[in-house]
Amino acid sequence: MKKTLTALALALTATTALADYPEKPIEVVVGYSAGGGTDVMARTVAQFLEQELGDGASVVVKNMPGAGGQIGFTEVAQADADGYTLGTFNLPAALALTHDRDADYGLNSYTYLANFVEDPNTITVAANSPYQTLDELLEAARTDPGAITVGLSALGGNDHFGANMMAAAAGAEFTLVPFKGASMARTAIMGGHVAAGTMTLGQTTAFPDELRVLAVLADERSSFRPEVPTAKELGYDVKMSSLRGFVAPAGLDAATAETLRAALSAVNENPDFQATMAEQGNPIAFMLGEAFAATAAEQDAVAARIWAESPWK
Amino acid sequence: MYADLLNALPDVFSLANFAAVVIGVIAGIVVGAMPGLSATMAISVLVPFTFGLEPLVALGLMAGIYNGAMYGGAIPAVLLRIPGTPAAVATTFDGYPMAQKGEGGFALQVAVVSSAFGGVASAFALMLLAPPLSKVTLLFGPSEVFWVAIFGLASIIFLLGGNPVKGLISACFGVFVSVVGSDPIYGNDRFTFGQLEMLDGINIVILLVGLYALPPVIDLLETPLKTDGVKSSKLGTEPIWKALPRMKSYWKTWVRGSFIGIWIGILPGAGGSMAAFMSYNEARRASNTPETWGEGEPEGVAAAEVANNADTASALIPALTLGIPGTAVAAVMLGGLLVHGLQPGPMLFRDNPDIVFGFMWQFLFGAILLVVLGGSLATNSFARLLNLPRPLLGSVIIVLMLIGVYSIHGRMFDVYLMLGFGAIGWVMDRLKFPLPPVVLGLILGGFAEENLRLALRIGRGDPMVLFQNTTSLILVALTIAVIVGPSLKKRFTGKGKAQ
Repeated sequence: MKKTLTALALALTATTALADYPEKPIEVVVGYSAGGGTDVMARTVAQFLEQELGDGASVVVKNMPGAGGQIGFTEVAQADADGYTLGTFNLPAALALTHDRDADYGLNSYTYLANFVEDPNTITVAANSPYQTLDELLEAARTDPGAITVGLSALGGNDHFGANMMAAAAGAEFTLVPFKGASMARTAIMGGHVAAGTMTLGQTTAFPDELRVLAVLADERSSFRPEVPTAKELGYDVKMSSLRGFVAPAGLDAATAETLRAALSAVNENPDFQATMAEQGNPIAFMLGEAFAATAAEQDAVAARIWAESPWK
Repeated sequence: MYADLLNALPDVFSLANFAAVVIGVIAGIVVGAMPGLSATMAISVLVPFTFGLEPLVALGLMAGIYNGAMYGGAIPAVLLRIPGTPAAVATTFDGYPMAQKGEGGFALQVAVVSSAFGGVASAFALMLLAPPLSKVTLLFGPSEVFWVAIFGLASIIFLLGGNPVKGLISACFGVFVSVVGSDPIYGNDRFTFGQLEMLDGINIVILLVGLYALPPVIDLLETPLKTDGVKSSKLGTEPIWKALPRMKSYWKTWVRGSFIGIWIGILPGAGGSMAAFMSYNEARRASNTPETWGEGEPEGVAAAEVANNADTASALIPALTLGIPGTAVAAVMLGGLLVHGLQPGPMLFRDNPDIVFGFMWQFLFGAILLVVLGGSLATNSFARLLNLPRPLLGSVIIVLMLIGVYSIHGRMFDVYLMLGFGAIGWVMDRLKFPLPPVVLGLILGGFAEENLRLALRIGRGDPMVLFQNTTSLILVALTIAVIVGPSLKKRFTGKGKAQ
């Protein structure tokens, strides 16, 4: 009897707690500095999420930059799974760095809530480059292995994986040049210091006259640049992109996760939100719960395979 | 484009937008004047709040803070020999001796007028020459940037005078500190001792505050309880327009320093401290009385301060046109632009001319406002700090240092690191090892390493890649001139005397 009462009492508190959620501010941990692409997305989502949760809900973004995002990802993985600590999650970067170092988290440390952004990688050259098509570039990389230098934002990220997968698919060899960040790599391409790059499509959009995008590494053409062919169309089945979404620590109770997922879906359906994201140049690829978790697992496998085949450190 | 420039002007004068610049300049001076607080930090704190602000209000605040802080750093540099920001290190060379001679007020006035001159020149470069200057940035690939870093290190070691061997040792220490953290290519941990806090390397502010602020504070605390001999009445609180005629002869230094600052600004990474050192060196070489430099020569303050403000707006040229910030501050400001959906690139100028050009005007007015706000603030308020009893002043500075360093990442680890550097700085000071090469070693060392390794990767391991184009070769020649120049000159003039 006593047991049933306790259980009943517990169940009651649980439901009341649930009914009240959120009863205090929700913190969103961003593993990068304020003003970066991920931070801007987090703040935009946070603003709309407050509206959707209603009832004066407060969503606060907390920047914990450092170690390529690792400090922030670790913070979320180790936080209490009470629904009051969420985090932004970048794929494949967040999981790639669990392979090249001892990280205190992994694929299963999170409850996957929703992915918002997917920005496909590209094969891009300068507008004045002699290579007009993907095949011309790959031919050069096959004839003289290593002669084509490819600028990346870093090793162990989507730029790097995209270049590796492209080289493997084409039987070519690139010389990889990891700059500090995508914009440095882009500038080196524009200045003719490297021959090509694998930056994401979003990073090329502000430079239409300076860059030539040879191919998008996606299954379908992008609505932002419909004239650019996919690598798949050109005969190379290579797919790589940068994803940004929201996660919570693993073990978040199903009801809270559902509340959050419903609210995030509502955010995604809000036309104002869509407009703001488009203005920021963020291509939306909304994926909820299971689908997001499956993509994360897929990305983790890609990172693990590339790390096993050609470790980058 | 010039029509766009003029069209953007009226909006800048709306009450909110103009007030933002004024508030920014005042905040920037205060932040810059406090050891440990930097413009980068102030703007990082500001960025999240700018979400709710109109773009030009947010950008005006940032432009103001940036300009203000670059001058504010000179205040403690002159009065206490503690540079408030990394860029103010060169200001201590002559600024502090001037303060000791009782000319602190004049030193601050020279600093503020020079800062304003550099800021205005830089703002004009940004407004009128941004697209062509961004083409210059494109010329600088990894091998060229590597040589810029080597040239900067050579200048600081060999031109600064004193003992080049000690300078070299100091620079090596700075370069060693730059090695700490994950390596720039593969991300392997180096000298981090398993600490996650060390993975991103050592923040320049931690090193600067430790090395530069702690030793003078120890000196302050060592002396018995008395107020400083320098009274504010002796600081030369004459109105700034009366001081202006005395600065007439610095115009050459101002023009030269502006060119150097603008040039350094458009190169990614080096920033205001390298600009200030180079301008100081060049001005001293051009001077008829180089022997008075370092002993309270006002023109030395002018040279350093004009250059460290001349790189502010020009650092935004690669930031706005290419998305690559010339300085750490410009990097944070890019974030502030992104918040408002302003993506850097050539499209920015076409799509949002009102905001981009408005921002440039705000830089210009921020620089001009420095004279008004900085002139009175500095001489009338900050300078009175020297009247505080020394132990009290020392304690206030220590508290500011601790808060400043703690607030970088919000962790005590950095504070301990800073105190460690303080101990090293105190020993180096006693042994007469110069401190500026340590600061530049940290800034340029990492930069040199990263770009050397990138260049070698591009050249597939062949070192000849470093000598393959004209820009690189010019920089190599300049570096050699800096290293052998002084000894050749000595030999040459020595012979002349013997005959």
